[in-house]
Amino acid sequence: MAAEHTATVSSHGDVAAPGRGAGISQGMLAMILFIGSEAMLFASFFTAYFMVRYNIAENDWPPIKDLATGERFEPPVLGTGVNTAFLVFSSFTVWYAEHRLKHGDRKGLERGLIVTMLLGATFLAVQINEYVHLGFTPQDQAYGAAFYTLTGFHGLHVFVGLTLLWICYLRIKRAHDFTPQWATPLGAASLYWHFVDVVWVFLYVVVYLI
Amino acid sequence: MATHAPTHAHTDHGHGHHAPPKPLWYWWKRAIVWTISGALAGIALVFFFRWAFGFSNLWEPESYYTAIASLAGIGFVIGIGCFDWWWAYLRGKHVDFEDHSLHGAKTWRDYLRPNTDHKVIGIQYMVAVFTFFVVGGLLAELVRLELAQPGFQIADGETYNGYFSAHATVMIFGFVIPSFAGLANYVLPVMIGAKDMAFPRLNALSFWLLLPAGAMLAIAPFVGAFSAGWTAYPPLAVQGTTGQTLFEVAVQFAGASSIATALNFLVTIMTMRAPGMTVWRMPLLVWANATTSGLVVFGTPFIAGSQFMTLFDRVVGTNFFNAANGGDVIMYQHVFWFYSHPAVYIMMLPGFGIISEVLSTFSRKPIFGYRALAFSTVAIALLGFGVWAHHMFVSGMASWLRIPMMITTIIIAVPTGVKIFSWLGTIWNGKIHLKTPMIWALGFIFTFVIGGLSGVFLGTLTTDIALTDTYFVVAHIHYVFFGGSVFTIFAGTYYWFPKMTGRMYSETLGKWHFWLTFIGFNGTFFPQHWLGAHGMPRRVADYDERFADLNLIISLFSLFMVAGTLVFFYNMIWSWRSGPKAPWNPWRGRSLEWLVSSPPSLFNFDAVPQVVGGPYQYGIPGARHAVVYAGDHLGGGELTETELRTVLVVANRTVASSSLLDQVKARAEEGYWRFTIVVPAKGDDHRAADRRLQVALAVLAEAGIDASGTVEDLGPLEAVKRILEEEPAHEVMLATLPTGQSEWMQQDMIDRVRKASGIAVTRVIVRGDDARTAVRSAAVQRIAVIANDTLGDAGLVSALQARADERPLAAVVLCPLSLDGPGWTDDADKVRDEATGRTRAVIQRLQDSGIQAHGEVIDGDPVAAAKIARSDYKVDTVLVCSYRRDSSEELLGQVRAAAGDTAVEHVVVDAEAPAAPSGA
Ligand code: HEM
Ligand SMILES: [Cu+2]
Repeated sequence: MAAEHTATVSSHGDVAAPGRGAGISQGMLAMILFIGSEAMLFASFFTAYFMVRYNIAENDWPPIKDLATGERFEPPVLGTGVNTAFLVFSSFTVWYAEHRLKHGDRKGLERGLIVTMLLGATFLAVQINEYVHLGFTPQDQAYGAAFYTLTGFHGLHVFVGLTLLWICYLRIKRAHDFTPQWATPLGAASLYWHFVDVVWVFLYVVVYLI
Repeated sequence: MATHAPTHAHTDHGHGHHAPPKPLWYWWKRAIVWTISGALAGIALVFFFRWAFGFSNLWEPESYYTAIASLAGIGFVIGIGCFDWWWAYLRGKHVDFEDHSLHGAKTWRDYLRPNTDHKVIGIQYMVAVFTFFVVGGLLAELVRLELAQPGFQIADGETYNGYFSAHATVMIFGFVIPSFAGLANYVLPVMIGAKDMAFPRLNALSFWLLLPAGAMLAIAPFVGAFSAGWTAYPPLAVQGTTGQTLFEVAVQFAGASSIATALNFLVTIMTMRAPGMTVWRMPLLVWANATTSGLVVFGTPFIAGSQFMTLFDRVVGTNFFNAANGGDVIMYQHVFWFYSHPAVYIMMLPGFGIISEVLSTFSRKPIFGYRALAFSTVAIALLGFGVWAHHMFVSGMASWLRIPMMITTIIIAVPTGVKIFSWLGTIWNGKIHLKTPMIWALGFIFTFVIGGLSGVFLGTLTTDIALTDTYFVVAHIHYVFFGGSVFTIFAGTYYWFPKMTGRMYSETLGKWHFWLTFIGFNGTFFPQHWLGAHGMPRRVADYDERFADLNLIISLFSLFMVAGTLVFFYNMIWSWRSGPKAPWNPWRGRSLEWLVSSPPSLFNFDAVPQVVGGPYQYGIPGARHAVVYAGDHLGGGELTETELRTVLVVANRTVASSSLLDQVKARAEEGYWRFTIVVPAKGDDHRAADRRLQVALAVLAEAGIDASGTVEDLGPLEAVKRILEEEPAHEVMLATLPTGQSEWMQQDMIDRVRKASGIAVTRVIVRGDDARTAVRSAAVQRIAVIANDTLGDAGLVSALQARADERPLAAVVLCPLSLDGPGWTDDADKVRDEATGRTRAVIQRLQDSGIQAHGEVIDGDPVAAAKIARSDYKVDTVLVCSYRRDSSEELLGQVRAAAGDTAVEHVVVDAEAPAAPSGA
């Protein structure tokens, strides 16, 4: 039994899991659907944001923070712009890591992952620093609520993405996982990372720029 | 990820390298420890953050409750073991992707720990959701108690709001949504020919996530119930108490559970269908679940979002819904209904799938408009995302949105109508078998149409302005949820009960359950249309005097449903424990789950089946849905085309005889045969025919033979033709009495059947007394009836008939005759003759009503008779019958002693009244 068992099964990650009727592995399919679900979660918060912005504030945006001084909310466009660049760049590095694996270059894979994770961590650190110096809190009007919820949930997703990449890295180091033929978990993690990245670009444009 | 290879044949899974199974307390001890640790971690975390951010108020309770509930819930699922495998994986351990150490159940204990077998998970779901159903039902009765009269009875307004809010939430998130997940969990993988779900560990996680959600909802009423309804609109929801916090966290857990299940279903359906199962050969239940899963994956995040925002407003003090600070209350309703309108279809589409399965099987006809049904399911789902604001016509939302939303709403009635007409087309001219699932399905069509019609009134802007927030909406909700979803859940539960438990439920009780519920349901909810139209507002504990009478009537009718539910639970529990064994295919269904044993083996199929046609081709000559492979124990792994390996058994009075059943068993030994038994009972008593058939089926099921049967109001020739139209058979086995006594032989039936069917006919000769004598089998309960004077009483016969309807039985009638004087006088002879006559008469009556019986007159008292019953007849139960005036406790005691460990029951027959079994 045990022999028959291992024959068809990827316990060492070298046999693709056979799926029927779809030219895609089950893991990737699940990740794509999960990303769809996550996208809808962000969509719900963007709905909130847009309704507050266009319905209530009538696009008088960003709203006035302090009636006495007439001062408006002001997200830090420039600093965050640089941070955005970090995150966008990390999408390329994770792509590079996967690409190296295809060529059987495991060292390159590891290097690519480490750089990606460093960039991701930098992004998070900068974001936290931004919160500290922002000058308004989640409790400051609906603007604060929407701003912090969107960026906060995104930060959480960056953290989850980092964790997934970190697990892949551990699997590479300790279990010598992933081959050019079979790397579903890695592929799924990197897809998630791209997603997190795309959400951020959208968020940056909508919340910070326009 | 946990990938399952469907091409991989398992017959047995003795993995030597797995550690022995852990005892139950191992899991639960861990669960408790982790739950408590989670709660403590929650406290610590909030304290730390509040302190680090320099909050002046360190002890803001709601923030603590939020963290405690969330982390305790997560702790629970970690502790119970849902993450063990992943934990090993992420530490870089070598893990087995096909780790089946937690797969399958041997004892009840295996149901109480994390289990990766979709069949076990399905049953875990069903047990859990019916528990929540009871909780929700009790809350509903509290609501009806309060509303039985105007004024305040048992609760003030706030508490009352808590009752109905908790009722709705438990029913929706704890019962209806997960019960479909549970049913589909069990049957869907089998239906598509897979050995499990795509991600068994994720599947287990989905189930265990549901429990914290249910627990939080159940605890909520005790910590200040949430009173904003299941819709939880701010600003009320933002002001609510701790119960509201638990609601918001519970919804996240239930939502996560749903999403995980939905992902799993989608991947399973997309990648694990058996070869040959194209999308147009999928059973409609599979279509329905695929579509529903899409709704869940893309819709549920919106309710998560809405609840996160309310939670932040309550706990963190944000201003999403605070108009004074630029927030927008109506935004909540948009986000909420963008999920929750699709959610009503999440709660309905799987039910539509169940109804399609049931109607087609019990009408013995192909489903009418298969593609129309499939497309309309998808259409409803897509349109469902575009109608949400019909819940908000009077909310003060942008008024230009009203007309478009009204139009889309009315359009959605079109695909719904397509379904109704397809179903009516299916039963039209069908050969309808009114088994319990079918009755529920027909009841569903009736009630759901009413619910759909009231929906049109609500969807029409002009009428909705008057009807919104009145009892009309309550009537609508219940006609679509209860008369709709819940009826389908019952239909599905009865339909697959034999498959899931390997036992048959009691038809009689199933029908009682239906009629009690149906009457109670309509009595409760139909008058609410009137109440609403006359202006009784919903969600208010008190109401105007003029509604008093009707509300009292409604409350009384609701008790019918309570009674029905009790019958249901009694039936389920009793049948599960000791109902007759179920055959593989009791309903002669076509889809794959019916081509495997009941319950299916550990990995469902011995080898991957091959699908060759659509699932509903009843009555199409030669059509087949699938081909399954026989296991080694059934004559080797060679290809067997199940439905061509059917033997059609034709027998009426002889159906329960040992000659016939032995012949069937002998044939079953030869290979992979299945049997369809038809009883042509034209002009005969159908109930009697059915009782005999049930005996035969029970005996065969007990012997592990796949047989199903039906009683037809036809002659033998027409019956054979009729069945062969539905399903092709390999040969016909015709049982008759010996030639001289057999009417069928006089009519030359063998030759005529052969000519009509074109297949071989084997004749089985059954002697008359053989047909009347009971087969020895554990499946047939043997009952000795000890009675003398009462033998002539109709009450006794009907008591036995009722028992026979519960489970197959055979009777031995013993008439104890203790004569005082000498036994040879003319008087004594006369008494003895009379007793013999009575015994003969009752045996004849029992035989006529389909109960195999024989018996004798015994010289001696009831005690002697009991001894004989025990030693000679080896019966399972002794029934002592007497008139009320004669019953003697002392004699009964002696009989009990004489019967030893055989059960003794006492039936009291009132000379006037019919018999009633008495426990005393
Ligand atoms: C022809 C189909 C249907 C139409 C046109 C329709 C229309 C509506 C409308 C307009 C409302 C809002 C009433 C109001 O609050 O004023 C409503 C409420 C509701 N409907 Fe339907 N409906 C349909 C079918 C269904 C189905 C199939 C379900 C669920 C299985 C369902 C469940 C509900 C529920 C739960 C509510 C009440 C929500 C609340 O608590 O406020 N409806 N329906
Ligand atoms: Cu709706």
